[in-house]
Amino acid sequence: MIKDKQYYLDTFGVKESDLELLAAEGLSCGGDFTDIFFENTSFSNILLRDGEVTSARMSLDYGAGIRVLEGEKTGYSYTENTSVESLRQAARAAAKIAMGKGGAVEVTPRSAAAILKDARDRAATYVTAQGNGDRKVRKFFTGSPNPAADRYPMQSDWTKEDTKTLISVLSSLRDKISRRDSTIVKILARISGQVTDVLMFNSFGEMKYDTRPLGEISTSVIYSRGGRTENKTVSRSFRCGSEMLSESLLDEIAVQVTSGIDERFEASRPKGGKMPVVMGAGASGILLHEAMGHAFEADFNRKGQSIFSGKIGERVCAKGINIVDDGTIKGNRGAVNFDDEGVPGQRTCMVEDGILTSYLHDRISARWFGVSPTGNGRRESFRYNPIPRMRATYMESGDASREDIISTVKKGVFVDEFSNGQVLIGEGDFTFYVKSGFLIENGRLTAPVKDINIIGNGPRALADIIAVGSDSKIDDGTWTCGKGQSVPVSCGIPTVLVRELTVGGN
Amino acid sequence: MEEFLINHEEEALAAGCLEHALASGADKARITLNKNLTELYGTLNGSLDKVSRSLDRAVMITIFTGGRYGSFTANRIDREHLFPFIEEAVRTVGMLAPDPLRDLPDPARTQKNAVTGRETGLLDPAFAKRTSDERLATALSSAVFGKISGKGFKLISEEGEYSDSVSDLLLLDSNGLRCRHSETSFDYGVEATVEDEGGNRISGYWWDSAPLLCDLDAASCGKTAVERAASLIGPKPVESGPRTIVVDSGCGSTLLSPILNALSGFAIQQKNSFLDGTLGKKVFPESLSILDLGEEYGKCGSRLFDIEGVAINNSAIIENGVVKEYFLNTYDSKKLGMAPTVDAPTRAVIRPAGIPEGKRAGREEIMSLCGDGILITGFNGGNSNPTTGDFSFGIEGILFSGGRPVHPVREMLMTGNLVSLWNSLLYAGDDPRKCMSRQIPTLAFANVMISA
Repeated sequence: MIKDKQYYLDTFGVKESDLELLAAEGLSCGGDFTDIFFENTSFSNILLRDGEVTSARMSLDYGAGIRVLEGEKTGYSYTENTSVESLRQAARAAAKIAMGKGGAVEVTPRSAAAILKDARDRAATYVTAQGNGDRKVRKFFTGSPNPAADRYPMQSDWTKEDTKTLISVLSSLRDKISRRDSTIVKILARISGQVTDVLMFNSFGEMKYDTRPLGEISTSVIYSRGGRTENKTVSRSFRCGSEMLSESLLDEIAVQVTSGIDERFEASRPKGGKMPVVMGAGASGILLHEAMGHAFEADFNRKGQSIFSGKIGERVCAKGINIVDDGTIKGNRGAVNFDDEGVPGQRTCMVEDGILTSYLHDRISARWFGVSPTGNGRRESFRYNPIPRMRATYMESGDASREDIISTVKKGVFVDEFSNGQVLIGEGDFTFYVKSGFLIENGRLTAPVKDINIIGNGPRALADIIAVGSDSKIDDGTWTCGKGQSVPVSCGIPTVLVRELTVGGN
Repeated sequence: MEEFLINHEEEALAAGCLEHALASGADKARITLNKNLTELYGTLNGSLDKVSRSLDRAVMITIFTGGRYGSFTANRIDREHLFPFIEEAVRTVGMLAPDPLRDLPDPARTQKNAVTGRETGLLDPAFAKRTSDERLATALSSAVFGKISGKGFKLISEEGEYSDSVSDLLLLDSNGLRCRHSETSFDYGVEATVEDEGGNRISGYWWDSAPLLCDLDAASCGKTAVERAASLIGPKPVESGPRTIVVDSGCGSTLLSPILNALSGFAIQQKNSFLDGTLGKKVFPESLSILDLGEEYGKCGSRLFDIEGVAINNSAIIENGVVKEYFLNTYDSKKLGMAPTVDAPTRAVIRPAGIPEGKRAGREEIMSLCGDGILITGFNGGNSNPTTGDFSFGIEGILFSGGRPVHPVREMLMTGNLVSLWNSLLYAGDDPRKCMSRQIPTLAFANVMISA
């Protein structure tokens, strides 16, 4: 929900003239570019435990980070006090990255104008970069935020929501869940809501502002049967206000968290080894996130660390496969009106018809590769400098049906519920942990399986995708990506068949 | 040093917050004030790549009122913002369901001897004297890019990061608790990526950390990171099946953490623990003893009080295979009707096990004792089921035979159950890394199922 500019200036207690001065302070030792990121987050959380909502948490997090770039080098500093003097101190600390070309210039209103003019003159609005096919590259992203294009309008502000209302939502969810299974022994449930105001200003003179809501509801249920216990966790998250807490959403969560429990108690581990793996539609998008998404982040490629370094334009998987990282899905956990560098959110095709067409860029990597940034410069908070991060990463639908895909597998596994994943960027080896799934025997789902890790190699797994379903789906769980700093993301995929992955087992 | 720590004004504000919480309607309250200053210098291929400096302050207010409870955090540390925030916090807590088991810890159990924050011996005055130029010099001089070469590979990327920090924590509660913990940390880490003759990229990471600058060994990190990457060049497949594994001392936490998590009061009370009902029972082998040595002076991870201010005492977590301790804070202990202990383990130490009398027990010695198996040098993802203890982890490392390395292995999985795994413990060495708060030596286990 984008408010008017003055709201953000007032929230952070700064004037536009202050911002010009601070940008100049950032460039007082040299440097090519500086940006200032103000952030104010209000977070609240309530927890239902042992039948009642008996605890609450709330936090306010406020501050600003200042970044100075010289080439690809980064100076960064932040302050939790947005007085002009504190901000200037932070700017001077970040400016040290450009030290070495002489001392710092004293910044006054007059010298500030000259410093910024020089920086803006050095960066043309469009440049033609060598080595990128003479494409014109956008460097500036001027223009005001457009409320009409807001990807996360908030009808009910989390910060104004009555705690009693949220308590009644959790109580209702508890009742809906407990009615569905008599073997439940514990229900944990929580609702979290946050609203973040951000204001960004950079040495190009671009100002962007945004208000970003993020809501989460999750439940973890413990079942006990015959002296054995099993658990299941379900969550939903959206960039919207508390209007997300509808009866239908609670019903959906209650059904999902109580489904498949018989199978979970019956489930065992398969015999381990290499075998075909059918990834169910939706949450199996973790395959894309771990196996290729991280390796497509341009900082790893700029530094030559990724297994996909230098492979732009090459075929990485079969014709007809398209893999996208998308910040434009309304209400999605990975949606961005602007990334945290003020670059508009966009839909980036990483793989088109099987060809690797784009990495995911922030401003630093875009400059290095001579391309436009893709709106992937994201950060956990004002305490971190932005780096290339995924948003909603998914594969577009193919033309096979789920049933047809499963029917082609003589012996393998079908997986559809996950807890976590990881990747080694250089080697490309990725893993993800499967909470539940089924054996596939002679083209049919048979015995349930659980608690298996699956490991593979990114480029090989991509090349080994031999069937793509027509049922692409984004999973709306509380996916959080860690890369030294955490950001909300989402993932999706249609049903796909990977020719061979290594499955952990007995 | 004083300028970096919580000052008198901030301490007075914390006390003022406590008073204001009580005046606003709280029956009891706890204030946790944190302050942290960090400076960081990053290098890429031997050149400066990143500089950052950060000062954080945050106050957490824990409110108990009418049998209700909530915790609230803010980082705008002034009365103008904090006092209205506290008033709203008390109002919010009043809307929750009452839970009479929520309470501050018994004052008889809280720490009385953490007054200055320096009692743990973890605060190095050298931090205050360190200049930006010296920090930069450490970062640049520790880089090995262009200075190191090896047969069959080239170093294509080296990312190094030197940082140091000072942190200070003050804990006050309305029962008269006042505890302080201050420490410095000096850290250096390197991610090295090498390329073999076939164009394959392999990464290796190594790091060191110390509370005292004089104990930091930044200089050898780059070389070790490159060696670790190079040692994994040319992996070959191995057959799936049960094998002896040796787990490098730098990565054993993956196997210990689920055990410690399963002993937490929260997991036990929520029936979400495979170690529920095991207190006082012999669940693990006679050879396994895990102590919690949080009181050790000057050791990484030591502390004198937990998050509630309860005094830390050295204790046994598992002794000769018997589970001796659940981690029970005030609330979970009342929920379970058991005596409280501490909120969480502080500095878990695995004692040597199975090593012949008078022998050293480092990685190479344990590989020799095992003869054949797989040395695990890193875990790649995986997880465990908290209710059953079933696990499956991605692994990489080196196949060894006759105690000597044969070839690297990767893209493999180890699968089993945590109780069974620890019951197959063959050896625990005496070589935990000093820089880690969990003192986990090289470990060896028999008959672990490997999928490759």
